[in-house]
Amino acid sequence: MIRRFERRHIIGHLVMLITFTGLVITGFPQKFPSASWAKGVVLIFGGVSRMRFVHHLLGTIMALQLVYHALELIWFLWLRKLPPVLLPTLQDAKDFVQHIRYNLGLVTHEPQYGRYSWPEKLEYLALVWGTFLMVATGIIMLYPVRFAQLVPGQFILAAKAAHGGEATLAALAIITWHSYFVHWKHWNTSMFTGKLPKELYIEEHPKEFAELMAGMRPEPAPIDTKKFLIFIGIATVIVLAAIGFVVWLRAVPVAIETVRY
Amino acid sequence: MRAERFVIPLLAAALALPVFAGQDLDCLSCHGDPATLRVAGQAIGKELDDTQVAALTVAQGGCPSHMGLVCADCHVAITRFPHPAETRLANPCVECHQGVVDQLNNSVHRDPTGGSSFKVQCWDCHGAHGIYPPTDQRSPLHPYNVSRICLKCHTNAEYLNGVHGQGVELGGIIGSATCISCHGGHDIQKTTDANARTARRQISFTCGRCHARIAQQYRESVHGAALMADDNPDVPTCVDCHEPHATPNPRSPRFRASSPQLCGRCHANEAMMSKYGLSTEVFSTYVADFHGTTAELFEEVTPDQPLNQAVCYDCHGYHDVYAVHDQGRKQIEQNLLKHCQRCHPAATPKFLSAWTSHYVPSPDQYPWIYYVNLFYKIIIPGTIGFFLFFIGTDVYRTRVNRRRHGGES
Repeated sequence: MIRRFERRHIIGHLVMLITFTGLVITGFPQKFPSASWAKGVVLIFGGVSRMRFVHHLLGTIMALQLVYHALELIWFLWLRKLPPVLLPTLQDAKDFVQHIRYNLGLVTHEPQYGRYSWPEKLEYLALVWGTFLMVATGIIMLYPVRFAQLVPGQFILAAKAAHGGEATLAALAIITWHSYFVHWKHWNTSMFTGKLPKELYIEEHPKEFAELMAGMRPEPAPIDTKKFLIFIGIATVIVLAAIGFVVWLRAVPVAIETVRY
Repeated sequence: MRAERFVIPLLAAALALPVFAGQDLDCLSCHGDPATLRVAGQAIGKELDDTQVAALTVAQGGCPSHMGLVCADCHVAITRFPHPAETRLANPCVECHQGVVDQLNNSVHRDPTGGSSFKVQCWDCHGAHGIYPPTDQRSPLHPYNVSRICLKCHTNAEYLNGVHGQGVELGGIIGSATCISCHGGHDIQKTTDANARTARRQISFTCGRCHARIAQQYRESVHGAALMADDNPDVPTCVDCHEPHATPNPRSPRFRASSPQLCGRCHANEAMMSKYGLSTEVFSTYVADFHGTTAELFEEVTPDQPLNQAVCYDCHGYHDVYAVHDQGRKQIEQNLLKHCQRCHPAATPKFLSAWTSHYVPSPDQYPWIYYVNLFYKIIIPGTIGFFLFFIGTDVYRTRVNRRRHGGES
């Protein structure tokens, strides 16, 4: 067994797993309100208002995770100087072509993947972009009156359309892409245990495995005091900006409180 | 023992009967009290059960206007003792109440032979002996009692749970509609009869006897005007939305939550709407919107929770619905912001386009929504198609490799 993920990866994945699944369950009945299964799901939650509350709660957690991830990236990539292993490179494009050619039997060698293969990078980038889009469109729908003071109202409906479309895309991507690579192709539990069996490591990440064996595991740089203070400053600005944004959003009431549940 | 005590007076009464015919006191000496009647029956060898006793006992008193009548005025056949099986005139009431015969014979309760043996006899509703004016609570036709009379034959008891039935039964409101208020008394017609108070054309006037302003508004609306102008068979009348007997409370959460379905019964009906050049998308576009989605999920799952979402009539009006290609458009456009602000007090004119006014987004109408939808219509099958293609090649390669390695080892 070889360590592949740190505790922060495991926790981050778990939070994403819970919020994503919960949001899919509470979200799709709202996209397809006339479907019979939608009514069943709403019944489980005891009404559409409660289901929506759960949806908003999980969405808030996901939004916080997005902000946290931004801080995390600054911390590890800039302050601790870890390599940006999830950034797509030219090599990924080459690997992509080679993998398809290999699968079709046009070349004899499969691409030698490093820490992250292109399917993993694709999924990560799609997830970050998708989460940003879902959070942004979700906030627009949560505060339609506020946003309609800035942009025409149809953007709120466009946000709704994008929210539903992106959700469908994300859910289908998890069912196909994610399930195939970590459940079907191999039953890969490294995201929960942090460890991957040696044979699987060699098969899936041969290049990184060789580097690890050569003692080339990238270690975070020691914390530089000046950079640390700048980071604190950036983090404070981001957090204050997020709080200010929420205060600005909530300054205008969405609707009168006619009914409380 | 007790029986013997009555035998002698009874025999005496029987013998004296022809002489004293028409003297109520003599009749009531047996028929005035259940116990006495029972004993009298035993005396002539008839064991009367409770129902018979109740039917044959005549209470004292009665309608003041009938005070001049005596038993024998109606029960003409009583000449001897024991009485013959049928003592009464076929319909003694019509001896005086002549005018009612024609009314009844033009109603659903008519005598098929045109005589006075109506399907429902006078005393079935008015009572036989204790006849009081319908304004008297003792009358079976007093508003408090009338539904029980009709329900003896007509078993649809929905009325009792409606606002009118509950108004009478629970609220004790005299003015609340009873069966008679809408169907009439002696002149009840079938609803399919054009002259009936409950006929399509007449119903708004019938309801309007109490709900006058609403009935007036309705007749001026697009629905009511079409009905009054050319007997349009499709437009709803009062009872199509409010239900004739069940009359659910229109201010209840349930009524509000199910109201889009109510309008949708016609406005989502392609066959009916095509006749008038109306789009059936009005319903689907509503359900696809925020308010409609919530209303749809509410209606099925929690119909009795208060629904704080706009429904059709919040913009289009209740009884005063006007055609949107006519004055209705102005009416809605002028008031739309006001309507929105009732729940969204901070709404500005820009907010109005957050609702597509039932338009299906197209490159001309609400293009942003259209293009976002188009984008995902392409991107979703494209992306997932690529995923499946790659997974397919990968599965193929894995299988081929496994077979090859399996063969070698």
